[in-house]
Amino acid sequence: MKTKLLLTLAATAAFTSFIGVATEQPAHARIKLATLPDKEAVVVRFDHPNVVIVEEERTLTLQKGVNNVDFSWAGTNIDKGSIIFRPVDEKSTTVVLSTSYPPGEAALTWQINATEARSEKFRLSYLMANIQRETDYRAVVSADEKTCTFRHYFKIRNWSGGQFDEADFITRDGKTFEKGLANGEAKRVLVNRWDNVKLVKEYNYDPQRQSEGKILTDYVLKNAKDHGLGAIPLEYGKVRIYQQDSAGTTAFTGEDWGRFTPIGDDMRLNIGIAQDIKVEFKKMVNDIENRRGNVYDTNEVDEYEIKNFKDGEAEVIFTLRVDGEWEMQNSSSGYTSFERIDNETIKFKVKVPGKGEPVKLKFHYKRLNNW
Amino acid sequence: MKYATIIFALLLAAPLVAKEELVTLPSRDSVQLTIYNSEDLTLVREVRTLSFRQGNNRLQFSWANTLIDPTSVEFMPVGAEAAKELELLDTSFPAQGHEMLIWTVACTKAAAYKVEISYFTSGISWSAEYHGVVAPDERSMELTAFVTVHNNSGEDYEDAQVRLVVGTINLVEKIIDLATPPQPGGGGARRPGPPLPPSAARRAAGPQDDADAEENEDGMRRPKEIEKVGLSEYYIYTVEGRETVPNRWSKRLKSFTVAGVPLKTVYRYEPAKFGWEFTKVLEFKNDEDHKLGKEPLPNGIVRLYKDAGGGRLSWMGALASKYIPKKDEVKVNVGADPECTMKLKRTRTQKKDLTFNQRWLQGWTQVDTYELELRNFRDREVEVEVHQAFGGDFDFSGEGWERHDAQTHKWKLTLKAAETRKASYSVTTRMGTNARK
Repeated sequence: MKTKLLLTLAATAAFTSFIGVATEQPAHARIKLATLPDKEAVVVRFDHPNVVIVEEERTLTLQKGVNNVDFSWAGTNIDKGSIIFRPVDEKSTTVVLSTSYPPGEAALTWQINATEARSEKFRLSYLMANIQRETDYRAVVSADEKTCTFRHYFKIRNWSGGQFDEADFITRDGKTFEKGLANGEAKRVLVNRWDNVKLVKEYNYDPQRQSEGKILTDYVLKNAKDHGLGAIPLEYGKVRIYQQDSAGTTAFTGEDWGRFTPIGDDMRLNIGIAQDIKVEFKKMVNDIENRRGNVYDTNEVDEYEIKNFKDGEAEVIFTLRVDGEWEMQNSSSGYTSFERIDNETIKFKVKVPGKGEPVKLKFHYKRLNNW
Repeated sequence: MKYATIIFALLLAAPLVAKEELVTLPSRDSVQLTIYNSEDLTLVREVRTLSFRQGNNRLQFSWANTLIDPTSVEFMPVGAEAAKELELLDTSFPAQGHEMLIWTVACTKAAAYKVEISYFTSGISWSAEYHGVVAPDERSMELTAFVTVHNNSGEDYEDAQVRLVVGTINLVEKIIDLATPPQPGGGGARRPGPPLPPSAARRAAGPQDDADAEENEDGMRRPKEIEKVGLSEYYIYTVEGRETVPNRWSKRLKSFTVAGVPLKTVYRYEPAKFGWEFTKVLEFKNDEDHKLGKEPLPNGIVRLYKDAGGGRLSWMGALASKYIPKKDEVKVNVGADPECTMKLKRTRTQKKDLTFNQRWLQGWTQVDTYELELRNFRDREVEVEVHQAFGGDFDFSGEGWERHDAQTHKWKLTLKAAETRKASYSVTTRMGTNARK
């Protein structure tokens, strides 16, 4: 028994490869390296939002009969249970008979049966941790703020411990780019560019988004073909926004996180505060009425005075919230349209002329059946 | 090769104080492992051929550094002749060691006989795993099932017949507690396993020497069959041929592969089953219509991949599956899909029928109106099922909804590609003294 142990130890000491093949031998000569195959056709897929799957092909030289293939991944973080190993040729008669896992090692051994001695290409798929990905965008908005060019970048950072000398990286939307990526290295690649993308500029008053009552400037892009997008769902990512200036260059005007935007949906991007539009809020009426025992209604009037110090007219969207059971009263005024979004939320659109001329939005409502 | 040894010694029949003499160290003729997945329990049956002298023979059986339950060790002659000539007179557990016993066996005719030693051991387990490769249209998948045997028992089992039990058995005491009592007697903590041999030696001692396949007529190997047979409330999976599972190793074998299992994709909002998320669920049945149904599917990890074309795979998700009986349906939750969304909002709330007791409110009825919006951003039709549950004394009103149970109503529909659908419903809830039940 000891003799056998020494023999196999000696053989194993020479075993430094990532993957090795040994033909099944009787007794002592279990590990007998036949090939040291390199990685071929490596593909790294990012189509799942949280998980990266790596596929690589290797050509193994197999003997007729049972072959033992050792695969180890020390120093990298591969999900052992996710490993799939199979011949590339779907009609291949070569079969994987079993998988054995040694204790305390990032390694396994496949037992493979080959019907004849030959070289055969295998594909190895596994989930790999610590390959980070980020999506970001760069929008350059036209001077009239009605269109933009929209660039989509994909950034990968390799902390996996593995090295990709030459690999195809595939994004969620199927874009492929071929790069080498060393451990610790990061790369950012332009994967899509869309021109003449329509955008809508909005001024928003929303105390839930801006607690000081300042006006938010938003761009809204629709991810649709007739708006210049709509080719792919837009991944979550940072959008940096620039605007063409009169000098023929661009200036950075703000950035925001763009949420995942399926085809047909809107992406709303806040670029900052519109300082030339000011809103002053006053509670004009706050009365209790219609008391019944411990139950009462309230009569409330909220007034918003808006001043637009720009030269031209601006439309401001007010998003206001009232809890519980309530009804808007007919004496509300100062808006061009309103929409009750849900029980708690109402939106008013208010036209505000330029040059500081004040406009008042009067929101009159009664909250019912309070106790 | 063993790292922890079961020592089996035949001692000379002699006065109690006599010095013990080692006569034989017989190896196993055969060994069978019956491994349970619901408990840390394996039944080991091993057959050995022992030489007996006429008269009383004392057999020492010891199992240092293993996780064998001493209360379960049994001795049984094998075959009619052995049964006739051998008789177990007594079993002694010496005071000096927990991991040893001595049998006194009377033999009427000196000869070599086969005997079976059986015992329970802790530390050997098995688990099921599944790989599903879903077709690009999500209408079918290739399902491959694996069983993996894990040996942490402290003992190597070479050329063992392996049987795996699917089912939940009742044990009143854990085998690990029986295997490791503090000295002497009583329950105790798990001991560390035996020291590992050097890595290279372990690899050398690996599984390669056994055959994980059966030979065809042409001498070529194929994956081993795993035969499944029902037994009472359990299923026994018997792995074809013999397996070697060294201590601390695991070995995975394919149980079956079925291609073209019909699959249905349903987007579901069912908090009771899938949590508070509108989620994509892949569904099939463990029956013949789905090319399955030959045996129950033991609980295990299901890993789902999607066919990305050209034999390549992309990742869909993984989840822990429960035991799935034959004919039962399987619902695999692959998580939220941002390309099919649900939004629920309360569009109005009103209170009415207020009742008072001496000017204090004691009852009212609340009417809440909701709007559900479903959006399919995908380029294909999808099925959707939404459940909404309510408590208390309530009435539900909504077109297209059906009652699921006392608390729950559901809406089932098909959304075309890029379609948005809305459904409203209202819930009238009688509160306080207005409640009738």
